[in-house]
Amino acid sequence: MNIAVCLKQTPDTETRVQIAGDGVSVLEDDVQWIINPYDEAAVEAALRLTEAHGGEVTVFSLGPPRVEKALREALAMGAHRAVRLHADAVPADPRVTARALTAALRDGGFDLILAGQQAVDDDQAQTPQRIAQALDFACVTNVEELTVEGGRGAARRVLEGVQEVSSFPLPAVLGVNLRLNEPRYPSFKGIMQAKRKPIDVIEAELAEPKLVVERLAYPPEKAAGRVFEGVEAVPEVVRLLHEEAKVI
Amino acid sequence: MLSIAEKVLFAIAVMGSASLAYRGFSNVVKVIRRGTGEPLKVDLDRFFRALGQWIIMKPIWKTRTLADVFHVMIAWGFVFYFLVNLGDVLQGYFPVQFLGAGAVGVAYRFLADVFSVSVLVGMVWFLLRRFALGSRRQLVIRENVKVMEAARAGGITRDSVIVGVFILAHVGFRFLGETFTLAQERLHTGHGDPGQPFAHAVSGLWEGLDESALVVGQHVSWWLALGLILAFVPYFPYSKHFHLIMSGVNFLVKPDRPSLGALDPVDFEDEALEQIGVARIEDLPRKHLIDAYACIMCNRCQDACPAYVTGKELSPAALEVNKRYYLNLNLAALAAGEASAETMLDFALSESALWACTTCGACVDICPVGNEPMFDLLHLRRHQVLMESAFPQELQPAFRGMERNGNPWNRSAADRMAWAEGRSVPTIDENPDAELLWWVGCAPSYDPRAQRTAQALAKVMNAAGVRFAVLGGRESCTGDSARRAGNEYLFYERAQANIETLNEVAPKRIVTTCPHCLHTLGKEYAAMGGAYEVIHHTQLLAELAAAGKLDLPGGEASGAVTFHDPCYLGRHNGVVDEPREVLDALRLPVVEMPRHGTKSFCCGAGGAQMWKEEEPGAAAVNATRFDEAAATGAQTLAVGCPFCLTMMDDASKAAGEGMAVKDVVEIVAERLGDRA
Repeated sequence: MNIAVCLKQTPDTETRVQIAGDGVSVLEDDVQWIINPYDEAAVEAALRLTEAHGGEVTVFSLGPPRVEKALREALAMGAHRAVRLHADAVPADPRVTARALTAALRDGGFDLILAGQQAVDDDQAQTPQRIAQALDFACVTNVEELTVEGGRGAARRVLEGVQEVSSFPLPAVLGVNLRLNEPRYPSFKGIMQAKRKPIDVIEAELAEPKLVVERLAYPPEKAAGRVFEGVEAVPEVVRLLHEEAKVI
Repeated sequence: MLSIAEKVLFAIAVMGSASLAYRGFSNVVKVIRRGTGEPLKVDLDRFFRALGQWIIMKPIWKTRTLADVFHVMIAWGFVFYFLVNLGDVLQGYFPVQFLGAGAVGVAYRFLADVFSVSVLVGMVWFLLRRFALGSRRQLVIRENVKVMEAARAGGITRDSVIVGVFILAHVGFRFLGETFTLAQERLHTGHGDPGQPFAHAVSGLWEGLDESALVVGQHVSWWLALGLILAFVPYFPYSKHFHLIMSGVNFLVKPDRPSLGALDPVDFEDEALEQIGVARIEDLPRKHLIDAYACIMCNRCQDACPAYVTGKELSPAALEVNKRYYLNLNLAALAAGEASAETMLDFALSESALWACTTCGACVDICPVGNEPMFDLLHLRRHQVLMESAFPQELQPAFRGMERNGNPWNRSAADRMAWAEGRSVPTIDENPDAELLWWVGCAPSYDPRAQRTAQALAKVMNAAGVRFAVLGGRESCTGDSARRAGNEYLFYERAQANIETLNEVAPKRIVTTCPHCLHTLGKEYAAMGGAYEVIHHTQLLAELAAAGKLDLPGGEASGAVTFHDPCYLGRHNGVVDEPREVLDALRLPVVEMPRHGTKSFCCGAGGAQMWKEEEPGAAAVNATRFDEAAATGAQTLAVGCPFCLTMMDDASKAAGEGMAVKDVVEIVAERLGDRA
């Protein structure tokens, strides 16, 4: 079973985001780059499936040379091959990203295409659905349990108040969430082997974006918390919780 | 003197014994040489130092004084018996009196007589201890600890009895032989040799026997005394009595480490590097193979081990016992170069035991023969993490945090100075001429409770006029937790980065808030190209107090304080007096816990335990230690480490004892009041 995993390199979730001078992008100087945690779960799921059923895992990422670090990390986890779709910058329009990925994936003969259901940086959550649409494959999102048996897959998703299990024929595209697994920590052996694995670089087929970021701004600063003391403050606290915070 | 026939027979017996023994001894040598690491270095200086240690047995006296006294009675006697056996063989073959009739000979025979009795008395006590006295319980390893079947099923007891009976018989018959000799002398001269008081007294029993009977007794005793040696020697390398030699070898080859627990770095630049850490027994460094042979199975280490004492599956003693039994059972195959069929986790210890170690170093410190079981565990962890990626799941976020954000809390590196907001804490860029570089550490930077320690230290240093600076955003985790958890690669990356920063800053002196930083910066970075003078904040405080730079107002007499020595401050770095000097300078009454100083008992957080759940056991390490502190009746439990602070604070809250837990510097800062 050959599996493709689409992964995005995102800033570490602890990064203090700083808006660049152009007002529409983020300063990359002090950013600690990581594999988008949702995509990391997708890599882990792919590795577990190939460990059980055989086959290879190929990881794809779209972006400038810096994203090779993320690909290298996936190789260290155990992925077999890596492909970087070269673009000078990571597109802001998910449609552009999905189209470029689809072009690279279309003739790969993959039984399964996995991706995180969203990226922690832009939270667009569109890539798996768009790829599935373009390839006319079944698509399940928000997957938190996955089994594959005899050419069919089954995915469990947790919805509001109910769990849903659906099955689908392969090939399929899945968007996974963080509850799917605990991604492995690469062994030193894996890190060393990853250094010897090649990363293929191909030019990304980039469409004209339809979505344009107009402006980035910091969210309004949170007001400092207020401290009340003594029992006599209770009515006032209740009133504020009801009228201002509107939580009771 | 022996008859011709006896002489021939004895010579044949010696050759037979030697050829049987040769295989065992040479196999042991071959197995030890299979071990990894640098070839063992020996020079004359080391030789005499080791000889001194071997004879004086200084490390023995740390605990169990009664056993130590009886042990020295046997050990010195047995060592003296090397001379006695030589003399007896010479007297058997040649018509001479060994060392002559002069003062030397007289002294020799007196000592031989006294040591014979001291060995016999000592050996009887040890056999009583094993089977009858209450202290025999010290020799038991709890059921939940992995112990190889051969050892668990009475192997250790059988070996002990064989050794005990051998010593009693060997020395006993030699002593009897002397009594027969003295009785013969009396027949000829009318008096025996009062210079051998014990043998002289016993020889009175043979009054009335004729000379031929005495000669028979003398010969039979000679044969039994020396014949037993010949019979025992081939068994010797399989027996725990081998410790007699191998403890000396251990003293001889033990590396001169910068501290009791400083690890050797791994060269990750080495392209040929394939095996890291230890999976199988033959992967162990040679020193740690010798440990197995030096171990006398006294279990002192398990008594000192916080994991064992609180009911975990770990016993450092069991680890050494299992190593030894595995080597004994597979000696020929291992000596022939075969790979062992099992990994150490199969026979030497369980996975839970491996991850229960707090790396407190108590086992290394207490061992009377220089063993270092903690190192085996750390080598095993290295293999598990780097080769197998098999380690407790909870450690992963800490690894990720150190890797990505330079701290195991995985908080943003941009927030490292958040604790200092609104305080006068200059960075090295703002104060490049600082006399002292303060390595704040991750816990004091990020942990809300430990931040108060950092704030207190800033206040005290400012009040005392110390010209200090911090690295601010350039500081990052030393990697101690990664290293103790076996993630040597992560430690290596952290160390490389920090050494680069520090070498650029070139600090005159470094002060750390945390003993773990103290240890890593001061004792472990030097091997990787970063040698610095590093002190702990309690050392700085003691210095300031002694120099009169801490203007401490009297304050009201507050309650007694007990000081919990952090393992990486006291045992690993030998800093024991300074924290107490600071408390003295505050005129606080200090009460000591039974286990203090270098014998302190761990808080439970070291060895990366801070980042994971405690392994299953009977009690929590921190609660056990807190109970000991509470029993002193002190009102305040003073600590000198942010990890200890967390562990003791948690235990105090859980116990509801109302005992305040504070860092020493917090107590100092409180006394300064609002004046700084």
